[in-house]
Amino acid sequence: MRFYGGKAPVNKILMKGNEAFGEGAIRAGCRFFFGYPITPQSELPHYLAWRLPEVGGLYLQAESEIAAINMVYGAAAAGVRVMTSSSSPGISLMMEGISYIACAELPCVIVNIMRGGPGLGNIAPSQADYFQAVKGGGHGDYRLLVLAPASVQEVLDLVGLAFDLADKYRNPVMVVGDGILGQMMEAVELGPAPEVKLPPKPWATTGTAGRKTRNIINSLYIEPEELEKVNLRLQAKYRQMAEEEKRWEDYRMEDAELVLAAFGMVARIAKAVVDRLRAEGIPAGLVRPITLYPFPDGAFERAAGKARAFLTVEMNAGQMVEDVRLAVCGRRPVYFYGRTGGMLTTVAEVAARAREIWEGLK
Amino acid sequence: MATEQLKLRELAKKEVLITSGHRLCAGCGAPIIAKMVLLAAADYPVVACSPTGCLEVSTCISDYTAWKVPWIHSAFENAGATLSGVETMYRALKKKGKIDKEVKFIAIGGDGGTYDIGLQSLSGAMERGHDLLYVCYDNGAYMNTGIQRSSATPLGADTTTSPAGSVIPGKLQRRKDLTRIMAAHNIPYAAQASPSHWSDFIRKVRKALSIKGPKFINVISPCNRGWRSRLDDAIQLSRLAVQTCYWPLYEVEDGVVRVTYKPREKKPIEEFLKPQGRFKHLFTPENEWIVKRFQEDVDREWERLQKEESLYT
Repeated sequence: MRFYGGKAPVNKILMKGNEAFGEGAIRAGCRFFFGYPITPQSELPHYLAWRLPEVGGLYLQAESEIAAINMVYGAAAAGVRVMTSSSSPGISLMMEGISYIACAELPCVIVNIMRGGPGLGNIAPSQADYFQAVKGGGHGDYRLLVLAPASVQEVLDLVGLAFDLADKYRNPVMVVGDGILGQMMEAVELGPAPEVKLPPKPWATTGTAGRKTRNIINSLYIEPEELEKVNLRLQAKYRQMAEEEKRWEDYRMEDAELVLAAFGMVARIAKAVVDRLRAEGIPAGLVRPITLYPFPDGAFERAAGKARAFLTVEMNAGQMVEDVRLAVCGRRPVYFYGRTGGMLTTVAEVAARAREIWEGLK
Repeated sequence: MATEQLKLRELAKKEVLITSGHRLCAGCGAPIIAKMVLLAAADYPVVACSPTGCLEVSTCISDYTAWKVPWIHSAFENAGATLSGVETMYRALKKKGKIDKEVKFIAIGGDGGTYDIGLQSLSGAMERGHDLLYVCYDNGAYMNTGIQRSSATPLGADTTTSPAGSVIPGKLQRRKDLTRIMAAHNIPYAAQASPSHWSDFIRKVRKALSIKGPKFINVISPCNRGWRSRLDDAIQLSRLAVQTCYWPLYEVEDGVVRVTYKPREKKPIEEFLKPQGRFKHLFTPENEWIVKRFQEDVDREWERLQKEESLYT
């Protein structure tokens, strides 16, 4: 496939999710990508392997995910927009590097096209890396900003946002998709390439020319007092993220009494469930978190006013449901329905569970 | 003695310890190699190990296994480490008198899991001196995940992450010489083999198994999907690799280098490259230099190998 830019006569093209991650990064001004093969994300590096040289960028395949994330560390320290991608087992291998990058406060974007786990698992779609993404994943008290697109179009849009947020907070941003989102093709509207203004990065290690002091990028603080200060600074940053960056989508929430919660591809299934329930006279709605960290707890707190029950739907054994419960804080019952191992939640299954819950409320 | 040459007639009587019905592609070199290794080891109880890769994923689909020997799968980068663990446990049990069999430990992994991400654990196993044989089936790319370049991919090859285009003519780097790296660990035995020269290959496996300590054999493994070659060309291509001296057959035993097969007439590298679609862009005037450099590399390495051999004869 070849890319058709903003000047092309058609403004809608068919694109694979994995390719949209790549194109979104290029449109955001990213010119450096370090990757390693793993299914189901390999089309992303394939795309960038030919596409990046076309725009004067650099694609490099590392010898392992450990090497790839540490290449990202190096490039991010030099102040450029840089990305890597992998799928679940590969992301696990990157965790040490991600923790270092978070402590060194370097902006970068990491894509996880989640697959069935644990272990080698399989290459089918999954959302079982939710905890790993939003609770830190690696060692130490750190957080990633985590975005969860639900369509190929949203991939294009959110990858741009991911780079902006990474720069704003000097924090690694993870964009999570699953095997479906990575592999499926959808029509996307590219529009003219946005003009990217990269923010100044006076902290970057680009040599001391014109400066008296050296920039130091580091994640080693031997003195406990010092390291505590770093941690307090990080925590303040995470609080600011929580104040400014929560994003979610409400679907038919005006008068919803049975509120579904789902992110990514499962939210698309959940929307169909809401429509089906509404057609049956059950006042259902959906809250779809777009930022998984910071978690849009306000949306659930608000929903808890009218809602009589919540149903969280995930392709895992129940992970985001814990954050929904924290947000609802015991005011309403929060139920869970999920499939694991790469099995999809179907509209019929979720609707059946929702009806059961609704009947129980009567 | 296990090092005695086995005749084809005798080999045919041995049990094949990897079954048909596995899911590897038609015409794949890897199952031929695995079969030959296990045939050569048929006189011993064997414990095998594979890191993630084509062979692993296609021989253990869900509840099925194609392995008739005990076999353990390990994460992509860990065959060397996992088999080290198994072998250590075996030694401990032996010391305690709980086991008296002479078990052989064999890892079989692809080039991605051996040359790249698994090199660290392989090197560790070799340096610590575990009594195991590591066989690499080298098909020169990450074929399992969709033909991405590896450090075993030859110069100029078109892969999905070293795509040949109008500006960049495929992979710009030479392949890593892993057999030499393994020999440089000063292990008792390192060798290079090819399924086309089955008798040489099987002799090498049997020799390796008769030696105590860490052993390594690198085997060329044609992949028609990644090499963009004919479905029935695997053996022919591996033979051409040997005859062009792209893949010399040799062994390094206790530091002594011996070339085990010398082609009567060394064929030009084009004969190996031309049947493969991954090199087809090289046969244009602007990419001639790559074929030339390829030939120079092969010539130099072949020269070096013969010189090294002459030091010991």
